[in-house]
Amino acid sequence: MDAITELLKSFPFLLLGAWETLKLTAFSVGIGVILGTFIGMGRLSKVKFINYLCTAYVEFLRGTPLLVQISIVYFGLPQLGIQLAPYPAAITALGLNSGAYIAEIVRAGIQSIPRGQYEASRSLGLTHWQTMRYIILPQAFRNILPALGNEFITLTKDSSLASVIGVSELMRRGQFVISRTFQTFSIYFGIAFIYFLMTFVISRIVRYIERRMATA
Amino acid sequence: MIEESVVNTGGIQSAKEIIIKIEGLVKRFGKLEVLKGVNLEVKRKEAIVIIGPSGGGKSTLLRCVNKLEEYQGGKIYLDGVDIDQYDVNKLRTRIGMVFQQFNLFPHMNVLQNLILAPTKVKNMPENEAIEKAKALLSRVGLLDKIDAYPEQLSGGQKQRVAIARALMMEPEIMLFDEPTSALDPELVGEVLDVMKDLANSGMTMLVVTHEMGFATDVADRIVFISQGVIEEEGTPVEILKNPKKQRTKEFLRRILE
Repeated sequence: MDAITELLKSFPFLLLGAWETLKLTAFSVGIGVILGTFIGMGRLSKVKFINYLCTAYVEFLRGTPLLVQISIVYFGLPQLGIQLAPYPAAITALGLNSGAYIAEIVRAGIQSIPRGQYEASRSLGLTHWQTMRYIILPQAFRNILPALGNEFITLTKDSSLASVIGVSELMRRGQFVISRTFQTFSIYFGIAFIYFLMTFVISRIVRYIERRMATA
Repeated sequence: MIEESVVNTGGIQSAKEIIIKIEGLVKRFGKLEVLKGVNLEVKRKEAIVIIGPSGGGKSTLLRCVNKLEEYQGGKIYLDGVDIDQYDVNKLRTRIGMVFQQFNLFPHMNVLQNLILAPTKVKNMPENEAIEKAKALLSRVGLLDKIDAYPEQLSGGQKQRVAIARALMMEPEIMLFDEPTSALDPELVGEVLDVMKDLANSGMTMLVVTHEMGFATDVADRIVFISQGVIEEEGTPVEILKNPKKQRTKEFLRRILE
C-alpha cells in the first residue's frame, strides 16, 4: 500500500520531470535536425573533404556510447576550458548525437527524390542551394517524417541518461524520490509508465501529421 | 561572364545567325564513348529534330548543351562564346529544357511551379510573375489548372505545364528531350500542338523525338544520330524521303513500319 501512496504523492514532482524531459528532447531534436540536415547534405557532397568530414562525424557519433559522449561534454570539456551547466551540456551531447542519426535519415531522404527533380530545377537556373531548399529538402522531409518521429521517440528515452550529470529530468527525479522513500519498484515502474505515455503520444502525433501531409 | 572579347567562332562568316555551335563534342561514361566528335550548328529561330536509335547519344547531346552533362572533349558555343565562359546558372536561364518524365515539382501547384524560378533566379516581382504565368498557361490551354497539383493532371497536361514553366524564364533556345515518349498515345497530340505553336512563333528548338509526323511538319532540319556521330542531316524531305546512308534507311524503315 505504501508503494502506491508514495507514487501518487510524488506524481506531480515526477510530472515536472517529464516536462523537463520533453523540453530537453525537443531542444536536442531541434539541434539534431539542423545539424543532421547539413551533415546529411555534406555526406552527398562531391567535395571530398566535406564528404569525409561528415562521414567521420556520423561514424564516430554512432560508434560511441551516448553516456560516454555526455560525460565528455560535461566532465571532459571543462579541462579544455569549456564549462557547461548540466542542462546545456545535456542538450549539446544529445543534439550532437541525434545529429548523426538524423544525418543518415536526411541523406536517405534526399536520395529518395528522383534525380529528375534536381535536374529540372537546375535547368531553370536555380543554384544547388536553391534547389536543395525549395525542391529537394521539402520533398525529402515529407518522406522522412516517420523516421524523424522514431528519432524523436528514441531521443525521449535516451535523454534519461542526462540524469547522470544532474539534469533534473524524469529519471533523475525518480531516483531522488527513491532515495527518500526506498520504493524502488513502484517508482521505477511509474517512471517507465510516464515515458511510455510520452512516446505513445508522440508517435500518435507523428502519425497524425503524416496522414495530413499525405492528403495535402 | 565574358560578353565579347574571347569570341572564337572558328572563322564562321555568318556568326550572328548561329546561336549554337557544337564542335567535336566527345562524351564518355567511364570507358563507353557516347558522343564521338559531334559537330552541329543551330541557327536562330531554327527548329531541329534529332532522331536516331536509342543509346545513340541524342539525349546526351541535348544535356551537354545546358551542361547537365559534363563532356570530355570539344566545345559548345552560345552566341560565339564557349559555354564554359558563362556562369552555369545564367547559361541555363537562356536555355529551357523539357524532360521526358515532365519533372514537375509535386509539392507545388501549377502556379508555384511556374513562378519559382523567375522570382528566385531573376528576382521578378511576384505579381508580375503571376501575370506572366497566367498568360503562358492560357497559351498552353491550362489556365483553369492554375491551382492544381501535378498529381491531379494527365500526362499531356503535365508536359504542357512543364513547357510553360520553361518558357517563364524567356529562354532563347528550348531543348526537348523525348517530350512525348512517356505519354499515352491519345495525349501526344496536345503536346505536339503546343510545340508546333512555339516553333511557329520563332523559338529556336532542339527536339529529340520519335514523332516523324512532327519532324516532317515542323523541322527545318533533321539530324540523324547513331552510335555517337551525326550520320546524316538535312531537310525533312532529304532525310525522310531520300536518306543516303544505310543506317538512316534502316532506322527509318524500322520506325515507320
